[in-house]
Amino acid sequence: MLKLILNRLAFMVVAGLLLLTFLFFLFHAIPGDPARLIAGDSAPEALVESIRQAYGLDQPLVTQYTTYMRRVLQGDFGLSNFSRQPVLQIVGPRLLNTAKLAGWSMLLAMSVSLLLGSLSAMYWDRPLDRGITAFSLAGICTPIFVTGILGIYFFGVHLRWLPIGGMSTWKHYIMPVMTLGLAQAAGFTRMVRACMIDALGRDFITTARSKGVPERTIVFKHGLRNALLPIITFFGLGLGHTLGGAAVAESIFNWPGLGRLMVDSILTRDLPLTQGCIFFFAMVFILVNLMVDLLYRWADPRLAND
Amino acid sequence: MRYYARMAAAAALMASAFIPASVGAQDAKPQYGGELVLTGQLDKTMFPGRNTDAGGMDVYLNACENLVTMAADRTMQPALAKSWSLSDDQKTITFQLNEGIQFHDGTPFNAEAVAFVFNEALAKKFLYVSLLEGLEKVVADSEYQVSFKLSKPSAALIPNLAYRTMCIFSPTAYKAVGEEGLGSKIIGTGPFVVDSYVKGEHVRFKRNENYWQKGKPYLDSIRILFVPDVTTRLAMLESGDVDRAQGVPDFDIPRLQSEENLKVSTIPSLQQNYVVINNLKKPFDDPRVRQALNYAVDKAGIVKSVFAGTGATLSQAPTLTPGVFGFADMREPGKNTIFAYDVEKAKDLLKQAGYEDRNGDKVLENAQGEPLSLKLWTRKTGKGEYQIAQLIQAFLEKIGMKVELTVLESATFSASLSLGPQEAKYDLALLAWTVPTADPDEPMMYMTHTKAWKPAGANRMFFSHPETDRLAELAHAEPDQKKRAEYVRLWMAELLKQAPVIYLPTVNLTEAYRTYVHGAQYMPAGTYDATMAWIDKAAKKEQGISR
Repeated sequence: MLKLILNRLAFMVVAGLLLLTFLFFLFHAIPGDPARLIAGDSAPEALVESIRQAYGLDQPLVTQYTTYMRRVLQGDFGLSNFSRQPVLQIVGPRLLNTAKLAGWSMLLAMSVSLLLGSLSAMYWDRPLDRGITAFSLAGICTPIFVTGILGIYFFGVHLRWLPIGGMSTWKHYIMPVMTLGLAQAAGFTRMVRACMIDALGRDFITTARSKGVPERTIVFKHGLRNALLPIITFFGLGLGHTLGGAAVAESIFNWPGLGRLMVDSILTRDLPLTQGCIFFFAMVFILVNLMVDLLYRWADPRLAND
Repeated sequence: MRYYARMAAAAALMASAFIPASVGAQDAKPQYGGELVLTGQLDKTMFPGRNTDAGGMDVYLNACENLVTMAADRTMQPALAKSWSLSDDQKTITFQLNEGIQFHDGTPFNAEAVAFVFNEALAKKFLYVSLLEGLEKVVADSEYQVSFKLSKPSAALIPNLAYRTMCIFSPTAYKAVGEEGLGSKIIGTGPFVVDSYVKGEHVRFKRNENYWQKGKPYLDSIRILFVPDVTTRLAMLESGDVDRAQGVPDFDIPRLQSEENLKVSTIPSLQQNYVVINNLKKPFDDPRVRQALNYAVDKAGIVKSVFAGTGATLSQAPTLTPGVFGFADMREPGKNTIFAYDVEKAKDLLKQAGYEDRNGDKVLENAQGEPLSLKLWTRKTGKGEYQIAQLIQAFLEKIGMKVELTVLESATFSASLSLGPQEAKYDLALLAWTVPTADPDEPMMYMTHTKAWKPAGANRMFFSHPETDRLAELAHAEPDQKKRAEYVRLWMAELLKQAPVIYLPTVNLTEAYRTYVHGAQYMPAGTYDATMAWIDKAAKKEQGISR
């Protein structure tokens, strides 16, 4: 187990450095001049040149790369080209904000989908199952910018029950978490349902039923436990989607998260900030996958012996 | 009788559209207290020397003041400076400063502080340095007298000093924390002091209790929330989460106007869309072809379909908009805009330049049989730019040109349009230009002058004409306002003959705010000055807003 964790952490470091290298050269391959964007479209070339010098953008690419990587290895991700604040200082709180949004949404999505998916499987091909399937189909088909904006106008503008933008009180969490969480739950529910139907059709379930075990115990204890493996994988992958969806939800609900920051930094060619955002996103993703692997071993002890 | 009343009402409405939106009942007595919550956009630093965007100015103008300000009637008014005079050789401008003013950090405001800020701007090349052209150095003559030394006379310097980005920050704070430090907490002499700032989230200003103008400001605090998404911004205004939202889309105006607790105001900006014509490429080196391009575009059609009829105003003069010094109506009698839509005239001009449809394929060819085809570049940002470009493509194709429309991502677009004459690859490109300081000097010297060819300046057309250059230089140096205005008028008249670009409508700015907000000003430059605003508390309570 420890070996797995250490292996994965070593992989994280290597992957991170490769990613930064890739991003660095990718950024320089696409057109767009950061100094020009800082100075403004109509700025004179002399001014643009002075910014280039001040920010070290006039150095040869290899020099820029080695300077940057040396700094990163010392834990310094540089300054944002635009706000001139240290990247870590900007990214840190933003990452936490996104984690809050994505975390609560995932929690909601998982609970809702486990419950609805299991119920759906229990009442397979009955009205409840059809209702739940309809809900999940609708959820999958509706993009979150539609549900988000409808929510804003209904609960925020007309009823004035919930605040619209920001994250200062618990009330601010309700709409973004519901929007993102329920959208995610829709997809998860389909998956849980399929896995549960498969699990509930197995022989040991029939045996349990014939022994008179209560249906609730059969479904939630025996069935769910056996359906869990693919479900965990799906949840792990789903977190990636949630992080992506968070970028959209963050724009709609004015949530000061990492996704919005990343998009803005790419559009303004703020390389140090973009690098920081993508790097930490990737690290979170790798860590989550590690957790999924560990959960796997917990759910299926056979794997731990391999 | 009713007819006249309606006419009068319409006239009043028209007039109100062309003065900066002065929000508020003039007769009501200002009330003290309360917090004004605004939406804004601060993408860069809060340090004025490194952020000249309207969104940046909206933030730091609360804390940082200028030597002079420009009133709505275009006259220069004293601010931190109480008076100024020009030397006989016009190469020294001397300011007398107000006494007894302190920066928020306790540093006294004096001539030394002013000299430090501008000398630092020159040495460190602050982003506004091109607007200080001709300024050699600033010298503190005594505690409250400061002189600006110029290498050659410049009539534009004083109006430029009113540009909000040239505000005076505390030299002590600058030396202690640098640009980076002031970038998240600007320290000036203004009516509000930065209280808290979270990047990408909000900035909060509290009342400056030691403000030098006694009895001001009225508000306890101003909070600016950074909300990039316009739909969210409007929803927050409608729900009462914020008191004011900027950048209202044209198609949302009627809906917001119908809400009794909201007021919508539209003002013409200093920004005009235009199509860069690469004057070095054939056949665009011929003024007749450039004029034809202008006549071929239906500007009124653009205003109607892209801007819902209200989001833009037909231009009355090349480059300059009604808020700018020297602006004059340059339209032909009876026409609604310069280069009013005239397909026949366009075709006729092209014929004179040697282009006509010689083989009946509805495409114009020159004498050698080569078709007139061109590349038009645009980006998908800005207010309706992509839609305008599509319309222009259709208009030009209608008169027989082949137009290839290319859409570029905004950073790529910006880089491709910053290249010099040898490297530039566009024939036409849709852009917008702004006269940031409401003074014509920048468009004259920096956007159309031969010396301002990219990459040195902002002349992307590579337009060069001795007469416009000469008039620009004369206006640049002329201290007599009347003569200077005449040079500006002659310069505009010459531009109409030369047509270096395709002139398009002037963009309007629309804001919406709660009716209980009074005394704020929305300026044509796009900045919003709420430093002297106040809130009618009873009206706010009536609207059920309790924050």
